[in-house]
Formats: sequence, C-alpha cells, structure tokens
Amino acid sequence: MKSAAILFLTVTTAIAAPHETRMDESQRVFFKNYCLKCHGAEKPKADVRLDDLSFTIADIPTAERWQKVLNALNSGDMPPEDEKQPRAAEKAKFLQHLSGTMVAARKALGDTGGVITMRRLNKREYENTIEDLLGVKVDAKELPNDGSSGTFDTFGKSLFLSSDQLEQYLTLARRALDQVIATGPRPKTLKAHIEAEDEANLRITHIMRFYQMGGYRAYKQWKASNGRPTTDFGIVDESEIKFRLYVWERNTAPMIDYLTRPETKTGALLTIQDSNPQVGLAIPDEMPPGRYRLRARIGAMPNTEASRHFVELGVRGRSMEDAMNLIACRKVNAPQSKPEVMEFDITLPRLTVPLSVEIGPETKKQLILGERVFAFRERMPNNREHAAQLARVAHEQTGFGVEPALWIDWVEWEGPLFDAWPTAAHSRIFFKGETAARDDAYAREILARFAAAAFRGKEVKPSYLDKLVAHFREKRDEGESFEQAMKEPLSIVLASPSFLYLNEIGSAAGRETKAAGDVKPVSFTAPGGDAPPSRSRVPLSGTELATRLSYFLWSGPPDDGLLSLGKSGELTQPAVLHAQTRRLLASPKAWRFITGFTHQWLGMERLDFFQFNSRLYPGFDDSVKRAARDEVLHTMHTILTENHPVTSLLKADFVVINDLLADYYGLKSEGRDFHKVLVPPGTPRGGLLGMAAVLAMGSDGERSSPVERGAWVLRKLLHDPPPPAPPNVPQLSRHSGKLLSARELLTAHMEEPQCAQCHQRIDPIGYGLEHFNAAGLWRDVEVAEIASGYSVRKSKEHPIDASGTLSDGTKFDGFFQLRDAIAKREKAFALGLIENLVSYALGRPSQLSDDDLCADILLQARKDKLTLPTIIHALVGSREFQSK
Amino acid sequence: MNTPLTRRHFLRSASAVLALPALESLDFRAFAATKPATPPKRMIFLNFGWGVTNETWFPNVKKTGADWELPPGLAPLARHKKDITVVQGCSNKFADMPHWGSTFWLTGANRFGEPGQSFHNSISADQVAAAHLGGDTRHTSLQLNAPNADDGHGPGLSLAWDQRGKPMAGLENPVLVFHRLFSDETMPLAQRQAMLAEKRSILDAVTVNAKRVQRGLTKTDTDKLDEYFQSIRDIEVRLGKDERWLTVPKVKPPIAEPKPGLAGREEIKLMYDLIAAALQTDTTRVITYRQPVSTLLRSLELKFAAHDISHYGPGERMEASQKRDAAQSELLAGLIDKLKAIRESDGRSLFDHTALAYGSNIRTIHYLDNCPTVLTGGGAGIKRGQHLVLSKDTPLANVWLTMLRGIGVNTERHGDSSGLVKELIA
Repeated sequence: MKSAAILFLTVTTAIAAPHETRMDESQRVFFKNYCLKCHGAEKPKADVRLDDLSFTIADIPTAERWQKVLNALNSGDMPPEDEKQPRAAEKAKFLQHLSGTMVAARKALGDTGGVITMRRLNKREYENTIEDLLGVKVDAKELPNDGSSGTFDTFGKSLFLSSDQLEQYLTLARRALDQVIATGPRPKTLKAHIEAEDEANLRITHIMRFYQMGGYRAYKQWKASNGRPTTDFGIVDESEIKFRLYVWERNTAPMIDYLTRPETKTGALLTIQDSNPQVGLAIPDEMPPGRYRLRARIGAMPNTEASRHFVELGVRGRSMEDAMNLIACRKVNAPQSKPEVMEFDITLPRLTVPLSVEIGPETKKQLILGERVFAFRERMPNNREHAAQLARVAHEQTGFGVEPALWIDWVEWEGPLFDAWPTAAHSRIFFKGETAARDDAYAREILARFAAAAFRGKEVKPSYLDKLVAHFREKRDEGESFEQAMKEPLSIVLASPSFLYLNEIGSAAGRETKAAGDVKPVSFTAPGGDAPPSRSRVPLSGTELATRLSYFLWSGPPDDGLLSLGKSGELTQPAVLHAQTRRLLASPKAWRFITGFTHQWLGMERLDFFQFNSRLYPGFDDSVKRAARDEVLHTMHTILTENHPVTSLLKADFVVINDLLADYYGLKSEGRDFHKVLVPPGTPRGGLLGMAAVLAMGSDGERSSPVERGAWVLRKLLHDPPPPAPPNVPQLSRHSGKLLSARELLTAHMEEPQCAQCHQRIDPIGYGLEHFNAAGLWRDVEVAEIASGYSVRKSKEHPIDASGTLSDGTKFDGFFQLRDAIAKREKAFALGLIENLVSYALGRPSQLSDDDLCADILLQARKDKLTLPTIIHALVGSREFQSK
Repeated sequence: MNTPLTRRHFLRSASAVLALPALESLDFRAFAATKPATPPKRMIFLNFGWGVTNETWFPNVKKTGADWELPPGLAPLARHKKDITVVQGCSNKFADMPHWGSTFWLTGANRFGEPGQSFHNSISADQVAAAHLGGDTRHTSLQLNAPNADDGHGPGLSLAWDQRGKPMAGLENPVLVFHRLFSDETMPLAQRQAMLAEKRSILDAVTVNAKRVQRGLTKTDTDKLDEYFQSIRDIEVRLGKDERWLTVPKVKPPIAEPKPGLAGREEIKLMYDLIAAALQTDTTRVITYRQPVSTLLRSLELKFAAHDISHYGPGERMEASQKRDAAQSELLAGLIDKLKAIRESDGRSLFDHTALAYGSNIRTIHYLDNCPTVLTGGGAGIKRGQHLVLSKDTPLANVWLTMLRGIGVNTERHGDSSGLVKELIA
C-alpha cells in the first residue's frame, strides 16, 4: 500500500494550465472589414460593440459574444445586404476558423480538470450486476434509458436518479429475488409437443369452409338478387361483400394448393402467402418466468433457392400482421426428407398481459396472441406488406403464389429449466443450508454477507444491518416463512446507495489525511487562473480499483478473486494489475465491454432510427440488419482476443461473419456462430468501411447519404470531427425532387460559404463510398427514382463517380484508394479510439487535459503494434485510471 | 410464530400511522368532500421534438391580429380557430443544439450557465405551475414521455426539470398511466396503511446507508448523492400525500382501460385522452407530454427517420413532413374537442379553465429561432383567436411568464424572460 502511494506522489505531474483558445490572427482583417465598421466603439449599430472583443477566449462571456457573431454569420443576417459583402471563400475561411475555435473554447471552458463524478450503475451495468449476483436476468426496460448520442452511458454527471426510479429498483430487486429464492418445491418442468400440421390444417380448412366459401356464396346470391341489401346475405355492406369476392379470388388457390400438398399431411409448410406464414406455439400464462427451451424439427424444401433456407423465430406480438420481435435466425441445412431438430434457449419474461385468443367472427379461426406466443417463419422483411407483394406477383405466374421453402414437422417448448434447485444464488444467500437454525442471528449473518457482496467490498455498518433485520423481524411477525421474510430486506440492499453508486473516496491513507484536515496527499493546483479549480487527486483504494476495473471491462461487479486482490492491496502492484486486466479481458464477460463500448463509440443507435425500404432492399431484413450490427461487435471482439492492431478496423484481410452475412455478402462460409474468414485482396469487405452496418447507418433507408457517411468517417475514423451541426444555417433544397444522383444533389453545398466551410471536408469522403448502396451492397450504378409504395413513377440510372479529394489534398479515384488513404492515418484513428476509451473508462467526457494521457497511451501502444489489449493495459496503468 | 398475526399487525401499524397526520387528514377530507365553487386552473404543455414544415405550418406574417388565415399545417384546427393563438418570433436565446427540441423549451436556461460544466438547466415552467397548483391534488404534476432516441428532444427524461434543474422522469406507458391515475386499490385500508408504514421504514433503512456513503465524498459526488436524498424526500412527500388521500377512493375513470401495445398516432391519442381524464377528475392540474415523433411516423406509414424528415426538401420528404404536421394538428384538435366537451361545476368547460401550450424548441430543420408556438384554453386569460408576430428573438420564456402569471403565480421572471407579452393578455 505504502509503495503505491509513493508511486503516485512521484508520477504526479503538474496539471496543464487552463487552455486559452485563440481565434487565429489571420482572421482579423475579415473581422475588421466586415464587422467593425458598424460595430465599433463609435455609436455601434444595434448597440452591439465588437471592437473590444478579444481574440483570446478565456471566459464564458467572451465565448457567448463570439457565439453571437458566429450565429449571425451562419444565419446570413450579417453583414446586412446593403453593406459590403465578403467573397464566399473568405467568408468560408472565417467561419471555418471561428466554428473550430468555438468548439475548442467550449471544450476548454468545460474542462473540469479531470473530475470524475460518482456514478450510478447505468441500465446495462445494473442488469449485469443483478445477473452476476443472483444468476437471473431482470427485465429493466422500465428503467429510463441512460446515455445519449455522442456520450457514453458511463458518464456519472449524466446518470440521474428520480424517486420513480428508486421505487423501480425496489420492485425489480423483489422480482429477481422472487425468481431466485426457493420458498417451495422445485417448480415442475413441463414440456409440450405440437404437431405443426394439427393447427395449420384445421385453421386453413375452417377458413376455406366458412370464410372463403361463405363469402363467395353470399356474393353470388347477392349479385343474382338484383339489388337486395347485402345484410340479407349476412354481410354488413357492399364494400365488404366485394372484398369477400376479392379474397375468394386471391386466397382460394393458395389454400387448396396448401392442403393438397403431401408434405402438409405430416407437417406444416411455411408460406409467403397468407395460407400459413407462421407456425406458432404459446407458453401458458401460469408458467413462471425463467429459462425455457424451444425446439423445432425443420427441413428445407427441394428445388428452392438456398438463400431462402433461413428460419426466423420471434415473438408474434398482438397480431399476425405486426412485425415480429425477432429472437433468432438460423440457416436450415437439412432437407425436408431428413429434417433437423433445432434448439433455442429463451428467457420467458414475466407475464404482463394475459394471453388472449382472437376468434374471427366468421372464420372461426383462432389466433392466439400475446407476449408469450412464439412463431417460426421464413426469413423476410419484417412487414406483411412485402410478403403480400411477393405473393401477388408470384400468383400470376404459378397460380397459387410463392413455392414454399421451409417445412416444420413439430415444435416443442420445455421449461422452466434450472441448473439446480434451490438455485445457486439461493444456496449462496442461505449459506448454512437447509438444516441451519432459522433465527434472527442467522438472518443477520445472511444480510451482512449479502450486503458485503452487493456493496463490492464496501463496509456494511451495524446500524444499517439493524434496520434490515428489523424488516425481516416484522415480516416474520406477520407470519411469513424465514425465506419469504428475507426477500424485503434483501431487496432493500439492492436499492441502497452503496449498491447503486460506484462511490470512490480514495485509499485509506488519503482518507485519513483528509479527515484530519491536513494537507491533501496529492495536490494539483492550477498555476494561475481559476479554472480548473484547485483540487486534490487521491489514489483509489484497492477495492475501488478492482471495482473500476471490472465495470470498465465487464460492465459488472468484480468477482471474488479480483475483489480479494483489491482488498489485500495487491492489485495496486503493476504486475498484479496487469495480470488481472488480462484475465478480465480473456473472460466471456469482456463481451459486455465490447458491445457497450463499441456500440456507443461508433454511434450505432442510428441503425434503429429508420426502416429500410423493403422493395429496394428486400435482402436487408431485420435478421440481416442484426447480423450486420453483430459483425461490428464480433470484429472488435476478434481484434481484442486475437491481438490484431486496432488499425485492422480500417483495413483488414479478414471479416468476422456468420452464414447469414456470408450469404448477404456473397462470400462462402458456413456456421451460425460468427467466425473469422479471410478475404482476398481487392474485395471491399475487411474493415469498418466495408461493413453493411456502417454503410447502412450512412443512409436514410432509401438512399445512401454521403454526408452521414463522410461525417461519420471524420468523427470515428479520422479523429477530425466536424463542428456540431450549427443552428439556423439555411438549408438548400433547390435540387430536390429531380432525378439527380446523391453526388449531384450535394454540389449545392459548395455554393454557400456557410455550408462549404464544413461540407468540403465531409462530402468527398462520402463520394468515395458511393459504390455501396443504402444497405451496404456493392453497386455500379445508382438509381434515382420517384416512387410511392411499390409503384415507381420515374427513375434514372447514374454511373457512380467515387473519386474525390480529402481536405489535406490527397486524391482518390474510388473506394479502394479512399480506404488506403484512411488506413494510412493510423495515428489519428488510434488517438480517437484512445480518447473514447479514456472517457468511457473514467466515466466523463474527454477533455483537453486528457491530451497528455492519450498521447502517452498511444506511445506505449505503438511499441506493441497498437493492439487493443496494449491500449487497455496502458490506460489501466495510468495515474488517471487509478485515482479519483 | 405459526399464528397468523397479519391482521393484528395491520391494525397496530395502522393506528400508529393515523395518529400523526390526523389533523391534516381532517382538513383534507373537508376539502375533498366539497368541490371548490370555482373550478381550479390547469396547465398542459405538449412538445413535438423535430419542429414543423416551415413553408406550410406558419400563418402568413402579413396577416396578424384577429385577421389571419390558418396555414395548411394547422388546417385540422379550423374548428377551433377562434380559440387558438399562434405566436411567432420567440426563441430561447441560449439554445444552441439543433437536435434538442425540448431540453430548454420550458426552462429558457443557459446550457453553459455553470462555469466549468458543459450542461446546466433550470426549473421548467410546468414545475413552477405545479408548485402553485399541485398541492391539493393526488398528483402534484404528471409527466408523460416517449422513450425513443430519435425524437429530437435532446437530454431530459420528460419536459419537466425540477427546482434544481435536474430532469424529472416521465411515464411512458399509457396503461401504466391509467393505473396510476384510476386503478382502484383492491387492498383493504388497513393493509394499505401498513404498506405506507413499510415504505417509510424502507426509506429509513436506505437513508442510513446513504449517510454512510456520504462520508468522505467530494463536493461533486455529494451533489450527485443528493439526487438520492432528494428522491427519498420526494417519495416521502408522495407518501404524505398518499396518506392524506388514503381514505379518498380513486375517482372512477371517465375512460376505459387502454389497450396495451399501441404506438404512434393511437398512442398520442390515448395519452391525450388520459390527459383530459386526469384533469377532469382533478387528479392532477399540471401535465406535460414529450411526444413521440418516430413512432408517429411509423403509424402514418412514413419510413424515414424522424430526424431525416426534418431535413426535408420539395418531394417525398417534404410531403412526409407535412403529413406529420397535419397528424399532430389533428390530434391537438381532438384534445381541444375533448376539453371543450367536459362540463365543470360552474357550468363552463374544462377547456375554459385550462391553459395549453403546444410547440417545440426547433422551428424546422436546424432552426432554433421562431419556435412554433400555439396557445389555447381559457385558463391563463390568454387572448385567443389571434396571430401574433412578436419582435424577432423575443424570449420564449416571456410567453411562459405570461401564462404563469395568468394562472395566478406571483413571479417576476422565468428563465431568461425579459417581461410579459402584453399582446397575449386578454
């Protein structure tokens, strides 16, 4: 312990001076020529005086005044029309300087000197922490979402708490404990087996007999009756009776086709048309939440395209027409003649809405609806509209619709499943076993142990335990069993601040000195100026370090091994810390870090902001979209575990995909788990720029967006973020509505200096990616069209021009040269990644005062080919990571 | 130990609880039993994140006062034209993020107002109103929210920011709102009293731990932990209120329990129904709703991202933007219908006693000036049926101040307000 403290004292460097941000002197001429003439000392117009506005932005009032100048120029209000106007180029230059300076000034003025605000467990961490502690997944979707675009959900400052939330924590903890604590015999594990043809054939026969034929008969009688009201034939009105004729014509042939196929005698076909699009199964309401297993025996039909041999499993939701909530998508490799049994492990949620059965008034068809109704279907865009269109087109060719590609023999569910009963967590909580005396003293011991584990090594005070025991006592007095009576005090622990907050007060040495009001152990005082304020930085205690490390790399609590190394203080020895970091990274739990960090770092929430046009991109359905998202995460994971340089995110000779994505990309590879596949040189895949998810985010679901893509590359890959979109800049739309290429649409950006100042950097990068369509597939022509729904009114083909120039003058003739040019900027890329890792790990926005730290990490990592583990080791080994 | 003590226990704790606030409860019952002679004033704030279609939502600036024409974007409000006032020219001068449509909408705060921090906010107008109007209702205020990331609202958990400028959580699920407002307690009184006592003692336990955590924290961390203490205090206040309301049965819901799983247009409509019902039953008097945009678009079968639609140009996107405007206006018109249809004890309508503001901090695209603002209802004495074009950059907070004063809040300023909007006062 002592040596660690000394180490801290010696590595201490003076904190950087408050950063002064200066507007470049070269811009003074512009300022003088176009602003000061009216806004000088003498009778300034509109009472706005600018001659005394300093080019050095050292405080907020000065920043506010410059902000107003920027706003007035951006909005085009200034200089006024009747005054001398700057040339476009000089105005663009000035704006570029000023907006850049303002970004820097805001960053400098917002620099807290590295203060880390104590943080609450965010939603992810909360779920993981409960899971690690109790072995069950809580459904925390009722908790508010943490984090927002551009930040990380680890920023303590932005993790708020409200009274509603506090009550939620109590409720969620109680639900989890209800699942875990055994108060009775092991719940029976049940199994139900459903022959798929039973439900399907009965339903289709009923629809044929009543709805189809009944409707058709009514129509014919009505038609022959010469004007009698439709109600005479049992149909509400004329439009309904005509609809029934339409349905008769559309559905009769497909249904007869379905029922007469030999495969439907022994199983069910999954159809595209309405006859039998899904095979469902329902888990009854009385089944408790928990782990369940679904099985299905499936085979692929001969003479159908291999790309259709994917089955989707999802939650059917409230109606058959709704989009399904997808659980999995699997490739069906077995033929119908020799089907395979597939297993799916699922977590059955707590029941919130009871199962309901909707019975069609005339069809007599029963449709089971609810959150526990699962269904299998052929992979397809997640809306029935697309399937209906496919069926319509195919109907004309085949007379019945689309040839079915998948067949299901039977489906099964089994559960709830337990590894043990009582559960492992139950046995951990009631640690003395079944035979222990169930008295107050035992209750107190249980609570003390549980709280110690939940509080991650923080001290549990006797006065707090007294309160908890009192709760137990009260419940016991009310007649509850020992186990039952423990639930409330245990859930209180899981809503207490020591559990919910990662509070750090520093090592024992630091604390004592502070308490004594003595000189602070390690003191950093800003040399001059009052920002950042003078403050002290104390080294973390061993347990705090263990906790910070595990929440960084596991998004969850430290395990016993890590915590005991923390408690003993050994963790503060560099070699031990290094070994533990390596251990944590090698654990499957590191996946939580990969997903949590990567998704936020790369801004991947945009993937969920819009739907893809399924007419244009039928292949980019929800399953592929999900696989595309996973590709990014699995690639990052492979880079971590296989020690690739992080720059292989820019360009690589491999991809990490599964069979579904292989099919999408047209690559050859089998296996439903993500795995590494080498790609030959000259293919666009390999690296983020060739990933469908990244390219799809750079679109609006209809067309590619060079602006989104260019800005993303600048932000995420080149560490050269454009200033945030400024308010009140006029938008140019004179080109819209014409059949122009995406590139042509953007030429207008270069005409206005307000736009050009940023877009001349952004747009060309996007042009270089124009060979990828909105869904990330390669194209040689871009089709611009005007369409509504499935009817295209006009369209025009444009050959792709993917050439451009980067802001530093580097020219590229297309995607491959652009990718090479970006791959060369490995230092900038690594620095950007490091900055993000630092702010994710420390739980605060990256600041100017982090520059030295980031540069230092980069230096260390470059000694070992810039791998992710080296970067993480350097970060974990830094003073910033080990102190508060 | 095997004797069930449940019943006795409830009675015991019940008497303990009753002893304390007896006086208050008596007062309260007297109040609850007789409806006030003049119906109370109510306030509603509705915000849609991404702004409107500039060309077709705003009335012609040349036609102001009572002589104005409804633009297409507001056309669905035609039947209420005499009752709505459209205000142009207002903005929050510190707002600088073109994707934050509601963060500073009701606060008028300076994001950089706290040195060394990159985010700061202050109390929102609805919470000022709630402090004034909320004392006598079961819920001091009600926050409704849509949870989507792409709704153009910016940071916050609802439209409401508390006294300390911290975000207040909003309810996101109409079914949950319904139950919060109207579900009858099936539990016997004694048991509910026991539950209140139990909740208090839970708070007691966590407070002991919170005090422990407090020791040795830095100033910043103490402020953070203060949110926890504040949550405890808030629950205590709520429990106190619950206690006062314990013997008052929840009012019969004037609407049926909503179906679960509705999204977009149907969801907003449902929330509007709940707003009217909550005010009608005097369950609360101040309601904010941070509305969804993404799901609204989906329900209108518009497939673009909500943000991307806000960058419309002539063609498909602009049509989509206009469809969204019309759908929103239609929903608002429906809400006004409802408020007008509800009679109050003085024979006038709920609409006459309600002040409603509808708008966004984003005008259109990336513009933060001339925030779209529609005012309606008779609650704040706002002059209705007119089109006001105020001088450019009038603080939006002036409008809120005028409304707050209109409902009887005695305050001199709100946010960055510089005064009342005299043209608005009837």
